[in-house]
Amino acid sequence: MTRVVGLAVLVVAIVAALGAPVLAPHAGDQSFRGLLNAPPTRPHVRGDDGTWHRPFIYRWTLVNQLEQRYEEDRSARVPLAWLSGGRLVQSADEGRAPLLLVGADSYGRDVFSRMLFGARISLGLALVAALGATLIGSAVGGMAGYVGGATDDLLMRASDFLIVLPAMYVVLALRAVLPLVLAPSTVFLLLSVIFAVVGAPFIARGVRAIVRSERTLDYASAASALGAGHLRLLARHLLPAARGFVAVELTLLVPAFIVAEATLSYVGLGFPDPMASWGTMLHDASNVRAFADFPWLLAPAAAIFLVVLGLNLVLQGPVQAGPNFRTPTVRLKPDTTREHL
Amino acid sequence: MGQLLTRQTQHVGIIIAVAAALAAAAATGACRSEPPPASTAPVATRSGAPAVPRGGTLVASIRTEPRSFNRLVGRDSSTELVSSLTQAKLVRINKMTQEVEPWLAESWTRSPDGLRYTLKLRSGVVFSDGQPLTSADVVFAFDAVYDEKAGSSLADSLQAGGKRLNVVAADPQTVVITFPAPFAAGLRLLDNLPILPRHKLDAALKAGTFANAWGLSTPPSEIVGLGPFVLTEYLPGQHLILNRNPRYFRKAADGTDLPYLDRITIEIIPDQNAETLRLEAGQIDMMTSEIAPEAYAPIKRAADQGRVRLFDLGVALNPDSLWFNLKPGAFGADPRAAWLQRDELRRAVSLAVDRKAFADTVFLGAGVPVYGPITEANRTWYWAGIPQPSADLDGAKQVLATIGLSDRDGDGMLEDGNGRPARFTLLTQKGRPSVERGSNVIRDELKKIGLVVDVVTLDATALIERIGTVNYEAIYFNALMSDTDPALNPDFWFSRGSAHFWNMAQKAPATDWERRIDELMTRQIASLDEAERKRLFDEVQKIFAEYLPAIYFVAPRVYVAASSRVTNLTPAVSRPQLLWSPDTVAVTP
Repeated sequence: MTRVVGLAVLVVAIVAALGAPVLAPHAGDQSFRGLLNAPPTRPHVRGDDGTWHRPFIYRWTLVNQLEQRYEEDRSARVPLAWLSGGRLVQSADEGRAPLLLVGADSYGRDVFSRMLFGARISLGLALVAALGATLIGSAVGGMAGYVGGATDDLLMRASDFLIVLPAMYVVLALRAVLPLVLAPSTVFLLLSVIFAVVGAPFIARGVRAIVRSERTLDYASAASALGAGHLRLLARHLLPAARGFVAVELTLLVPAFIVAEATLSYVGLGFPDPMASWGTMLHDASNVRAFADFPWLLAPAAAIFLVVLGLNLVLQGPVQAGPNFRTPTVRLKPDTTREHL
Repeated sequence: MGQLLTRQTQHVGIIIAVAAALAAAAATGACRSEPPPASTAPVATRSGAPAVPRGGTLVASIRTEPRSFNRLVGRDSSTELVSSLTQAKLVRINKMTQEVEPWLAESWTRSPDGLRYTLKLRSGVVFSDGQPLTSADVVFAFDAVYDEKAGSSLADSLQAGGKRLNVVAADPQTVVITFPAPFAAGLRLLDNLPILPRHKLDAALKAGTFANAWGLSTPPSEIVGLGPFVLTEYLPGQHLILNRNPRYFRKAADGTDLPYLDRITIEIIPDQNAETLRLEAGQIDMMTSEIAPEAYAPIKRAADQGRVRLFDLGVALNPDSLWFNLKPGAFGADPRAAWLQRDELRRAVSLAVDRKAFADTVFLGAGVPVYGPITEANRTWYWAGIPQPSADLDGAKQVLATIGLSDRDGDGMLEDGNGRPARFTLLTQKGRPSVERGSNVIRDELKKIGLVVDVVTLDATALIERIGTVNYEAIYFNALMSDTDPALNPDFWFSRGSAHFWNMAQKAPATDWERRIDELMTRQIASLDEAERKRLFDEVQKIFAEYLPAIYFVAPRVYVAASSRVTNLTPAVSRPQLLWSPDTVAVTP
């Protein structure tokens, strides 16, 4: 059941990302200058007089510009317009009363629309980078654990080096030698590579320990005796044992990459404004007043939470119950590894 | 002097204003003697007013550590603040009235040719360690600031017509200052120079180590001055504590000693959010910088509850500005040079940006449109007749068409004659919301006329390095002029100036209009006729508005706040707004 829930959450997130141009009421960079940090416009179906209507909203009016206080203008209902202008739903009076389902940011942009467009970048980048980290980490860790000896030492020391490297300074140095302006596709590729390389050592170390331990077990010896080659033994028998570990790592890496994208955006290596990503949106919300007065700016954090929860539910289902899962914990004792090689 | 500095980290901050009384005398060319200043007259001590409370500790905050305790070396705002608390000058510019006030010099006379000033030092003044002030200390201060090895950042601001002043000690209480050429601002420039103790620093100057003297590792007991407070403790990253100087020379109107406060604690709080929260919570009494627009609401709530006092000081003196790199050949073979350095581009940019929308988005409506570097806050030199064209997208497009930029492929964006997109990179400072948001608004506004702007944020050091090496296309930044009198900002106005940002340090004026400004400013600085000076400077502003070497959009309103227990405040629009007269500030117990 939990897996179904997790799957549903992920499907919703993916559909939202893919369908952003239709599902979002506005373009991600469209500003409503009179609605900076405006609260969400709540859809209503019942008017103040108790009568029922088709879904409508009330317009926000600015009470104090400097203090950014708004009041609902309840004197007139603004109906919602469905399937108009290529959008699923909009306000019937977009100029004066735009539909702001999750409120507006400090530039007057619709947070909900930006979340949908941002999901494309954030989820895409995080998933691609996590996949890259998994591939690199599994390959390196599997080879180190299987071959052992000098190869193991070399690969693991390289991994250790990457882990202890002050990543932010490396990125800053990297940024200094790159052109000031990068195309979004270049940024995506660059961030994917950086994240994959930075995330791979964490997977490599775990995979290496598991493979090294599994290799001494009877089933591996049997496969080898039956003529399985090194590659087959590693890919078909040993690496699957690390599946649970990799699944857990994935649930940690995906949100970490989403937030890391925000950090890199801050140092100028991420996606530039007005492109929306969950990370850059969170960066915009990184002040105390956002917490107190404009909590809707933290909506991307809720989105990240839901996606991570969905990933956990989907991936941990097979981890806990799958027939091929081998718990690696009892085999990760450091004092038992070297002798078995 | 015009300075390429940020408000947060490198504000030179010595704002010298115009003194109407001095100007009137200058216009007549007559000798005069200032009346002895006697003592201060704080409002609260006037007849019938309650007495100003004495004692207590004021807690203020700064964002950055001072870089030195030597004001002649450190040019950042924190160093300047500590200097203003611990040191004193020959004359002071009253930031409320913008007039020159006698300070360590109690009176002066001027020679008929206006070149020589004879200053009489106040008698009985002693440094915080008990050593008496003499004219030798004044001469020493000038020697130090002009010393090549010291490399003082104040040296340029203490010159007239590009030449140094000649300072001689006539007797222990008399100093004669001779200007190399007629200089309309006169003694106003002395507000730049704190008088340092010769007996403490002479050895360092002679040894050529003055630039390292009074660094942050110097024991506070070694920091001696004539100011109202004495540095007693410095904990890096935490705070500075300054105790009352019992030997301070000024007296209150009732004849009692100043300062009123026993102590000032300056907390170092790098984050503005934290600073605002601590002010709201009553943990600090004031910030030494303006309230950012986004912090206005919580401070206003605290003010409504009576916990703080909120001051609206009016329009800022120094608005942010956008300028293009106008150095000839700066773009090499880049074909965009054909339009990036054209006057028409700048006119189109100025026309395209809706300044009202700019003020609403960047300053939450708390700003006024501006069209030149001099805002209405500069009451003496602001030219009300400056052209103020309304935003006109069609007009901007037509102007751009005259330089070959038009939409040739129907995509709504402009291309040059060879079909290359009209696109440029705008650099701005990271971490300063007003310029970051301002740059984004400029980008959005220019997109409406088909110009693509790539906004890139850099830290202040990288940005200044790029300006220095002329490695940029356009910049949106705060080019701070440290003085309201244009005579004291020659490096901004003259084509040879180091703060003539768009094309610095020209050997000869690159354009006719810059040559014309040079000529006008030369006459403006030398003229002793105040009306003539104003007319000449109006003409300079007119040329500036026509050719727009720097484009100005909005000047924000300046808000500051202090705890409700702080009394006797005299807030001024220039920094430090609440502490420019620290000896008269008081707190209720």
